[in-house]
Amino acid sequence: MISRLSDRAPLNAAPIDPAPLLGDWLNYDATSRNIASLTITHGEGRIILHITNWGETTALPFALTTAGGEAAAFRAAYDFDFARIAILAYLNKRLLVVDAYTTFHDDSRRSSYFARDHFYLK
Amino acid sequence: MRYVRAEDRPPNGDAPPGRVDPAPMLGTWFATDKQSAGVVKLVLSERDGNFVVRAYGAATPEPIDWGEAPAVAYAKSVVSDEGMAVSATYDFGFAESLLAAYSKGGILVLDTFNTFKDGSGRSAYFSREFFHR
Repeated sequence: MISRLSDRAPLNAAPIDPAPLLGDWLNYDATSRNIASLTITHGEGRIILHITNWGETTALPFALTTAGGEAAAFRAAYDFDFARIAILAYLNKRLLVVDAYTTFHDDSRRSSYFARDHFYLK
Repeated sequence: MRYVRAEDRPPNGDAPPGRVDPAPMLGTWFATDKQSAGVVKLVLSERDGNFVVRAYGAATPEPIDWGEAPAVAYAKSVVSDEGMAVSATYDFGFAESLLAAYSKGGILVLDTFNTFKDGSGRSAYFSREFFHR
């Protein structure tokens, strides 16, 4: 089954290789009020995203097609008791573009908001 | 007020609005790539006060109507009420697609994160597509 043509099955599918995502990533903008740095590691069959002071969470890797191969993106989420932050990121010529979609669950009336930062491999 | 980064804090004591208005994003958006194999059309609307998305996937002879899904609107900051980004999730049974998009300069940039649940061996994949009204 498909929901669009790009869902079609390939002749051969390979596992996703997370290697392009792995490492210590630093924000190009040293004055960012969002995420300063992040680390992505691979172990025990899963990919782990670590953001300073936020802790670790599992990241899911994505290839560019249903044929798999090198990872080109990942998604992850942090669930704090006052907010949920979805981290959606993709690689663009070794630049890691990280979008954070934040929703608040407390009574602060803060708006859900979108923030984007760009990272380079240390 | 709890926070995990400076951006979570209202600047200068500004009062948060309590709601993000999706109005700036409402309408029908068409893929700029007429040969797209991904999402070809997005309809963002409000129904009974709820923000919803309706997506159409590329197929022949006609696009596949994915139906409506609840959507979340995002502003550019915790004190803005102007919607400029949206997310929604579709569960097709055999697959799940997370849609996340933001608008800038009259263009909507859509990222999709797609995973298969049917044991078909298809890889999870990511796409990035551009839309105009």
